[in-house]
Amino acid sequence: MAAEAVLQPGIGVLGNRRIPGNKGIWVGITCELAEFTVMFVIYFVARAHYPEAFHAGAERLSRTAGAVITLLMVTSSYFIACSVAAIRAGDRRRSLLWLAAGFLTALGYPLAKVLEVTWNLAHGIDGGSGIFFTVYYYLTFNHLVHASWGILGMVWVLARSIAGGYSAEDHGGLEALASYWHATDIIWLVIFPFFYVLA
Amino acid sequence: MSSPEKVSRRRPSASTLAWLALVALTFASLGLGEWFHSASWLPLLVAAVVWIKGSLVARCFIESHRAHPFIARVLRAFIAFAPLALVATAYFGERLARWTAL
Repeated sequence: MAAEAVLQPGIGVLGNRRIPGNKGIWVGITCELAEFTVMFVIYFVARAHYPEAFHAGAERLSRTAGAVITLLMVTSSYFIACSVAAIRAGDRRRSLLWLAAGFLTALGYPLAKVLEVTWNLAHGIDGGSGIFFTVYYYLTFNHLVHASWGILGMVWVLARSIAGGYSAEDHGGLEALASYWHATDIIWLVIFPFFYVLA
Repeated sequence: MSSPEKVSRRRPSASTLAWLALVALTFASLGLGEWFHSASWLPLLVAAVVWIKGSLVARCFIESHRAHPFIARVLRAFIAFAPLALVATAYFGERLARWTAL
C-alpha cells in the first residue's frame, strides 16, 4: 500500500506524504521556479559584470512601489492561506470571504505596477536606460505575467467557491490555487531586494 | 474564567505570525538598504532576510514540512539559490564575471 499512489478526493496524497492541491499544479510550480532560477542567473551574471550600474540603478527606482507590491503580495498570500484554513474547518462562508479579500488585495499588484511604470517613464526610466533597467523590466514583467495567471485562477476558484464547489473534504482546487499563489509570492520576495534594497 | 479551548482560539495562528514577520522583515529590508547601503556586510544580511522570508511562506503557508519530500526539496533549493548567489556575487563578483565572459 505504501508504494501505491493513493489519491483522496480534493487532496493529493502519495503514500503517506501529502501533495498540497494536486500533482498538476506542482508540475507547473516546479517549471515556474526553474524558469525564474534561469532569470536569476541572468540577473547575477549581469550584476557581476556591471556592479556600478546595479549600485546606481537601484537608487533611481521607487522603493515605495517595491514595498507596496511586497506588502500586497504577502497580505494576499496570507488571506488565501486563511481561506484554505477556513474551508478545512468546514466554514464555507468564511473561506469565501478570505478568498475575496485575497483576490481584491492581489488586484492591487497590477495597479501598483501600472503606477510604478508610469512613474518610471516620467523619470526617464525605460528598458533602454541601461543594463540594470533592462534586467529589472525583464524580471518584474515576467513576474507580473505569472501573477496575472494566479489572479485569473482566483476568479475561477472564487466562482467555484460561490457555487459551493469546495468542502472540508474536497477543496483540492482551492489548495492548488493557494500553492501557486504562495510560490509566486516567494518569487517576488526574492526579486524585491534585487532591485529595491541592494544599491 | 476562560476554558482552554477559548484561550487557544485567541492565540494567533502560525500563518498570522508569519504574515506579521513578513511585513516586519519587509520594512527592515528597506531600512537596511536606506541606512547601510554601502556596508560590506549588507548583501549577507539581505541574503539571510530573503532566506527567512521564503522559508516562512514555504513552511507556514504552503506547509512544506508536511508535503511530499520532492515538493519540500524543490522549495528548499529554490529558496536557498538566490541568497547563496547573492553572497557569491557580492564577494566573488569579479571571478564570476571572468567565468561568465564570452
